[in-house]
Amino acid sequence: MDLRAGDSWGMLACLCTVLWHLPAVPALNRTGDPGPGPSIQKTYDLTRYLEHQLRSLAGTYRLPQFPPSAALLLATEPCLGVLLNYLGPPFNEPDFNPPRLGAETLPRATVNLEVWRSLNDKLRLTQNYEAYSHLLCYLRGLNRQAATAELRRSLAHFCTSLQGLLGSIAGVMAALGYPLPQPLPGTEPTWAPGPAHSDFLQKMDDFWLLKELQTWLWRSAKDFNRLKKKMQPPAAAVTLHLEAHGF
Amino acid sequence: MLALQIWLVKALLIFLTTESIGELLDPCGHIDPESPIIQRGSNFTAVCVLKEKCMDYFHVNANYIIWKTNHLTVPKEQYTVINRTAASVTFTNVVSPNLQLTCNILTFGQIEQNVYGITVLSGFPPEKPKNLNCIVNEGRKMMCQWDPGRETYLETNFTLKSEWATEKFDDCKTKPDTPNSCLVDYSPVYFVNIEVWVEAENALGNITSDHINFDPIDKVKPNPPRNLSVSNSEELSSILKLTWINPSINSVIRLKYNILYRTKDASTWSQIPPEDTASTRSSFTVQDLKPFTEYVFRVRCMKEDGKGFWSEWSEDASGITYEDRPSKAPSFWYRINPSHSHSYRSVQLIWKTLPPFEANGKILDYEVTLTRWKSYLQNYTVNDTKLTVNLTNDRYTATLTARNIVGKSDTSILTIPAYDFQGKLMESKCYLITVTPVYANGPGSPESTKAYLKQAPPSKGPTVRTKKVGKNEAVLEWDQLPVDVQNGFIRNYTIFYRTIIGNETAVNVDSSHTEYTLSSLTSDTLYMVRMTAYTDEGGKDGPEFTFTTPKFAQGEIEAIVVPVCLAFLLTTLLGVLFCFNKRDLIKKHIWPNVPDPSKSHIAQWSPHTPPRHNFNSKDQMYSDGNFTDVSVVEIEANDKKPFPEDLKSLDLFKKEKISTEGHSSGIGGSSCMSSSRPSISSSDENESTQNTSSTVQYSTVVHSGYRHQVPSVQVFSRSESTQPLLDSEERPEDLQLVDNVDSSDGILPRQQYFKQNCNQPETCPDISHFERSKQVSSGNEEDFMRLKQQQISNQNSQSCASGQMKMFQEVSAADAFGPGTEGQVERFETVGIEAAIDEGMPKSYLPQTVRQGGYMPQ
Repeated sequence: MDLRAGDSWGMLACLCTVLWHLPAVPALNRTGDPGPGPSIQKTYDLTRYLEHQLRSLAGTYRLPQFPPSAALLLATEPCLGVLLNYLGPPFNEPDFNPPRLGAETLPRATVNLEVWRSLNDKLRLTQNYEAYSHLLCYLRGLNRQAATAELRRSLAHFCTSLQGLLGSIAGVMAALGYPLPQPLPGTEPTWAPGPAHSDFLQKMDDFWLLKELQTWLWRSAKDFNRLKKKMQPPAAAVTLHLEAHGF
Repeated sequence: MLALQIWLVKALLIFLTTESIGELLDPCGHIDPESPIIQRGSNFTAVCVLKEKCMDYFHVNANYIIWKTNHLTVPKEQYTVINRTAASVTFTNVVSPNLQLTCNILTFGQIEQNVYGITVLSGFPPEKPKNLNCIVNEGRKMMCQWDPGRETYLETNFTLKSEWATEKFDDCKTKPDTPNSCLVDYSPVYFVNIEVWVEAENALGNITSDHINFDPIDKVKPNPPRNLSVSNSEELSSILKLTWINPSINSVIRLKYNILYRTKDASTWSQIPPEDTASTRSSFTVQDLKPFTEYVFRVRCMKEDGKGFWSEWSEDASGITYEDRPSKAPSFWYRINPSHSHSYRSVQLIWKTLPPFEANGKILDYEVTLTRWKSYLQNYTVNDTKLTVNLTNDRYTATLTARNIVGKSDTSILTIPAYDFQGKLMESKCYLITVTPVYANGPGSPESTKAYLKQAPPSKGPTVRTKKVGKNEAVLEWDQLPVDVQNGFIRNYTIFYRTIIGNETAVNVDSSHTEYTLSSLTSDTLYMVRMTAYTDEGGKDGPEFTFTTPKFAQGEIEAIVVPVCLAFLLTTLLGVLFCFNKRDLIKKHIWPNVPDPSKSHIAQWSPHTPPRHNFNSKDQMYSDGNFTDVSVVEIEANDKKPFPEDLKSLDLFKKEKISTEGHSSGIGGSSCMSSSRPSISSSDENESTQNTSSTVQYSTVVHSGYRHQVPSVQVFSRSESTQPLLDSEERPEDLQLVDNVDSSDGILPRQQYFKQNCNQPETCPDISHFERSKQVSSGNEEDFMRLKQQQISNQNSQSCASGQMKMFQEVSAADAFGPGTEGQVERFETVGIEAAIDEGMPKSYLPQTVRQGGYMPQ
């Protein structure tokens, strides 16, 4: 009987020890660094928000249709389609689909699905960061040329948001421990209309810029959704093995 | 008049003076500091410096300086003349927010000449702005508010600063009239955390608030839902469906809602449970509404997770629930108009319109039916609230229902009595007379009463029966007489009861009772009872009822039987309990206390235990019940240094002790058992010593003396311990045990004869000791006799096998037992080992094997 009582005390002591060390179990220690999960979620939300802004800006009926998303409802803001209206016909016509001419410097968002799938996190984020860095520069150039104050204001807000997206991506990369891509000196892209550019070609470039932006935002939403799912920690299940020694 | 003159003179003098100086704007001196701002409550010193030119002109110096604040002269105690041209003034604890300080000189003729003036401002440095919070009105710019802290009394600038981790935004400067809020110039970017803080600055200092970091999406106040509309359902009259258009921010965040509703006339709002509207939606069906009622609704929204702010309420929208069938029938009455004809009468049926909450819709028409005495149905459909019909003088039944688009109400029924029922009233029949008042707007509540035209005695008497019959009482009960046989109002009852031989007894009972208890009846008696019911006009007997009271009251028999049984049970229990408690005593009287040798043990026997004999010499020698105990058996030699030969046996004993114990028969009784527990621990330490045989004193048996006489001590000795005996049970071929027991006289309370023959192996063979205990007489002549020492030789097969070991034992015992002792001792020869022989107590050390020897205690 005495022996059993001793065992009970031993078991109790073992249990107490386990409980004492429980706060040290990393999976249970949720109060500390939350990890990159929330910032990825925020970045994802931001891309969706930018998509929404761009649709408002350019007019949803104009740009290529992507798989419908329930969260992205058609916005009815006053600046609807102002940008494409600013470009004028034929750019604001629904079936206008020009060849990609003179827009070779724009980063291409379209990529083979297999290639996209095989991208690792670092490469994926780096590509996003670089693309938006370039697009932001072009967009600022476009903003400088914008004729109306309303359009300038809308574009300025969009640029600010895009700047926020860049910061957000940089934050995610920092959280995951990836270095930021260094901009190559001297290759800072500008949106200076060349002398060869006619007004029509200029507008063509603007059109393609918006289209490429749209594609990039759509792709980024996919990228960050993929990252988000990857980073989601498994359900906090901790299996405690209580070894009953000497029983 | 005099004051005016002085004033005029002063003014003229000033004018002339300035005129004479020629420079109206050139002051005579100045005050330093020029425009001070000081902290409220601090000290302040100003210095007035006069110009030489002025001093010469007016013939004054710094001593002539007079300070004034707000046109009041400052006391001279606060002045300090620094030198000829300068004097200072010091103020302590300045609390005035605005102090006009002038420096004057007292010129010739006591005329004060103003030299210079300044304004001293006092206030506080800004406090740290607290409770900074921002709100983003959807589609508009972000506005931040804070608590600026205590009033500074000074011009204080607040600047709202904001930045991202990567970028700074333009500062937002407050307007003077709103120092506690600022509307930032840019539209905030959702989903990017922004850091915001406030800097406050005035002449006395600057300070920065705590920084707050947030995502603007969590501070959003959405626009209210638009185009709220309400529609009803034809299927369900209790629901209304609300639809609205969500604000456009719904494209980036999910929303939750609050919905309020009220009836159109109500002033307070009810709220739909928020948990029902906690997710994004653009319609909601409100249930449990009243039919055909107009309700007003409003809705607002906010971010689903509760971060941010509620939107403003949407514009109110109202809708009417669909109709339901009327929930109640209309009140209904009739009016009989004077008629010209005798066979017909004109009856006007009138009713009230239903209130809206009962009509549950628009009443289309009313349906009236008239039935004359279970036949002849007439139907009317009326839009009005009255109907005039010509009826015969018969009795009619009218019904009324109201109808709306959904259905009909329940039916209200009205009986129109026959025209003439006066002559048909009969005597001794009960009539119910109902009077219903008719007011201008309809009938009131009716009142009824019962009445007889003329009463008569009942036509039947009440039937009485017993409900319960006891030994001395009986409960009678009866039914109320049916109305048909009452023939009047029953005023009282009379109960008659009697025995066969006795007189009849009558009891009056009030008519409201239906039960009565007859008391003080005789038990086991036949009673006859009958009852009479009386109206005002007389009485009528009912049938007679017979019952017999029982001999015993209910439970009386049980009351007798149960205590008797209980008493018997208790007695039995007590007897058993007594027997159980005294079982030792009883056992001693019935069974002899036979010793169990297998239980015996050497080490247990202690010489120090005082004698506890309890025998009575008067008892017969062979009586088994005389002795209760043998208490002390001592083995001296084994105490600390057991002899080798003894050790051998001890060793053997040890090996066998368990099985020995297992063989005890239990006949020996408890006293024996307790003194013979195996315990040899004291000799364990010398187990290694080997010696085969020895003669040891086996035991000393001490009897307590009779009547305080000194008991003798019986000493038993043996060559080895109990082991041979025990072994003999296990290995009888190994041991030969011979005990010689002699009895000898002796009285010795604690005599020990113990001598070891075999101290050393070489002395072991053939040494015998005879020791005799000295007889100590205590003056009692009869009690003790000396037992001869008994020589116990024990042959051991081991090293001492050849040696004869003899143990002499002197046993003192009571004289009275002498003869018995002899006889018993001889029997022990065959056993040899347990020499604790005691006359009259054969039970004590009787080994198991003695059974073979022939002695059986029982």
